[in-house]
Amino acid sequence: MTGRIAHPWHTEPMSWYENSAAPWVPVSRTLITARLVPLWIAVGLLALGGVVVALAVAQAWVLAFPLTLLALGAWSTWVVIRQVTAHAWAEGDDDLLVRKGRMFRSVTVVPYGRMQFVDVKAGPLERKLGIATVQLHTASPGTDASIAGVPTDEAARLRDRLTTRGEARLAGL
Amino acid sequence: MSTPSVFTAPREWTRLHPVSPFLGGWAVLGLLFAYVIHQRLPDWVAGDDEDWEFFDRFPLIGLAVAAILGLAITLALSVWRWSRTMYRIGDDAVYLRQGIVTQQQRQARLDRLQAVDVVQPFLARVFGFAALSVQVAGGDRAGVELKFLRLGDAEALRNEILLLAAGLRAADDAREGEAAPGDPAPGDPARAASSLLDHLTERAQALQDPGAVLAGRESVRTSVAAAEEREVYRVPFGRLLLSTVFSGPAIFLALMPVTALVAAFGFHYDLLGVVLAAIGTSLFAIIGALGALLGFFWTRINGGFGFAAAVSADGLRLRHGLTETRRQTVPPGRVQAIRLHQPLLWRGKDWWRITLNVAGYGENDESVSVLHPVATREEAILAVWLVLPDLGDPDPHGTLGHALSGAGEQGGFLASPARARRLDPLQWRFRGVRATDRALLIRRGRWERELTVVPHERTQSLGLTQGPLRRALRLANVEVHSTQGPVRPVAAHLDVDDAIALLDAQARRARDGRRRQTPEQWMTAVGLDTDVPATQGGDRDG
Repeated sequence: MTGRIAHPWHTEPMSWYENSAAPWVPVSRTLITARLVPLWIAVGLLALGGVVVALAVAQAWVLAFPLTLLALGAWSTWVVIRQVTAHAWAEGDDDLLVRKGRMFRSVTVVPYGRMQFVDVKAGPLERKLGIATVQLHTASPGTDASIAGVPTDEAARLRDRLTTRGEARLAGL
Repeated sequence: MSTPSVFTAPREWTRLHPVSPFLGGWAVLGLLFAYVIHQRLPDWVAGDDEDWEFFDRFPLIGLAVAAILGLAITLALSVWRWSRTMYRIGDDAVYLRQGIVTQQQRQARLDRLQAVDVVQPFLARVFGFAALSVQVAGGDRAGVELKFLRLGDAEALRNEILLLAAGLRAADDAREGEAAPGDPAPGDPARAASSLLDHLTERAQALQDPGAVLAGRESVRTSVAAAEEREVYRVPFGRLLLSTVFSGPAIFLALMPVTALVAAFGFHYDLLGVVLAAIGTSLFAIIGALGALLGFFWTRINGGFGFAAAVSADGLRLRHGLTETRRQTVPPGRVQAIRLHQPLLWRGKDWWRITLNVAGYGENDESVSVLHPVATREEAILAVWLVLPDLGDPDPHGTLGHALSGAGEQGGFLASPARARRLDPLQWRFRGVRATDRALLIRRGRWERELTVVPHERTQSLGLTQGPLRRALRLANVEVHSTQGPVRPVAAHLDVDDAIALLDAQARRARDGRRRQTPEQWMTAVGLDTDVPATQGGDRDG
């Protein structure tokens, strides 16, 4: 699962920050499912409620509410797909790089020696889908270095690699 | 020669000074309690119990009884808490055990030590006591606070903690008056009584110079000597006062009557009616706003009173405070970032307010995160030097001059491109970034100005961000993530290629900086670990 997976919908190259030192590893696309399931459960329930209300009051215009919700849901789906396909990490020689977002995009560079600890988290749905979130903590609250949607076994390996590298280069604060 | 009062840092679990429960905030708590109890009294009285009638007739007696009851309860709680609070120091950490119902133990690891403060609230200062606050890196409230010790003991403990943290294991030998076998153990009543007597005689001597005591500059005998220090600057009270006058809130307060007069005579407003209406509808809002305004002056003057900075082998020493004096020691290399800020109204005087980030000091804590409350330009440059003795630039004065009040690309700064004007019409020409060999300088501000300095080896992580507007203009921000505190370094609105280049270069510089940085045990770095400082008491520190 570690390799560079060919992306059918990852056509737009991230031209703004190319990392020469290490290849970008994209996160698992299962993350799209993990994000869309709760989104559509919420949208579906609310839309259903709207339809029920529309039937109850027998007014056609009330249907505009569930329709708007569906449209918002569709737009969010598009955003989620774009976000997940832009999310990637790279393990350089001295730093970990995390790339996020398309509309608001960011690259975070975390030196291994600055890592205080590494978290691996997975909710029930994520566990079922076999992915986890790896989060790096430095002494700074501003460091936003979490990698969502890493396959579970890869997450454990990544955490171990990061910890080993962190210890090798540990440099106080 | 070893008098019983010679303090040795306890290696065994020890209580804090027995006077501690009387110095805390119990008086306030007691009054609160008294108030609550007094409020409850009528309820009990309302019953048909005839005995309470007495209190109904003499409400003052009821109040007094309530106050005494409240004080007794709070005092008893404080004493109980004190009896359950123990501390000790080891070679690697300071341990504190506390809690009335559930005991919790905390440790401050010395290899994570970031700062040690000796804090003296007013009451403690009069009676010669102090709290010792040990700040370590790692999460909120990771530090340990020892409330209270005798001032001399607190300073001795601070010096010993600093020695241990600096990697001087020999601190044991440095202590004079190691408890001889015949000496009563600490906590022994006989010893406590004799040290109390000692303390009282010492206080009597100290109070002969009440000015020094009240200003928190009295010098005390300590059993472990403090590192020699040299004062670098001291803030005159006049300048501090004037600096709060040249501030937004002051101007606002001054303009209020003026606008009122203009409104009354120029536009014939029914001023009294308006004022009365405002008071009638939102008295509490007005009081709150005024309180906030006055609070600003109070915080500035209270925190900056008698501000002095010094350098020593233990690092930076800061001393300040009116109601609560604080003597901070920040070991070398613990300052994560500094920010020099010049509000608009200070431009005429060329004054700067300098704040700093130290891991362990919390978020925006006005009382601990100030390096200089109001600095002249020379002092501002001195303050930068205090934190970064070597700026890594052949011409530090010239570079800092451009950094403090330059514009565009003068002085080798990387500036924002002209198209940034559309996003940032006021400041774009004044934004600039420059990396020296040792630190990154980020400048911004047209009317008010700001300079942020981050030593390369203190870079926690780096970020490159871009939203849709910046992307349209081919701009990007570079963020340097620092520890929690008032300084948040961001180099905004750079050309996207410049930003990427800066990110890469900065990652490389941070890497080189980490290789070069002084280790956590700063004395071992310079090979001073065999040279234990002199141990005679009565050295200057204070």
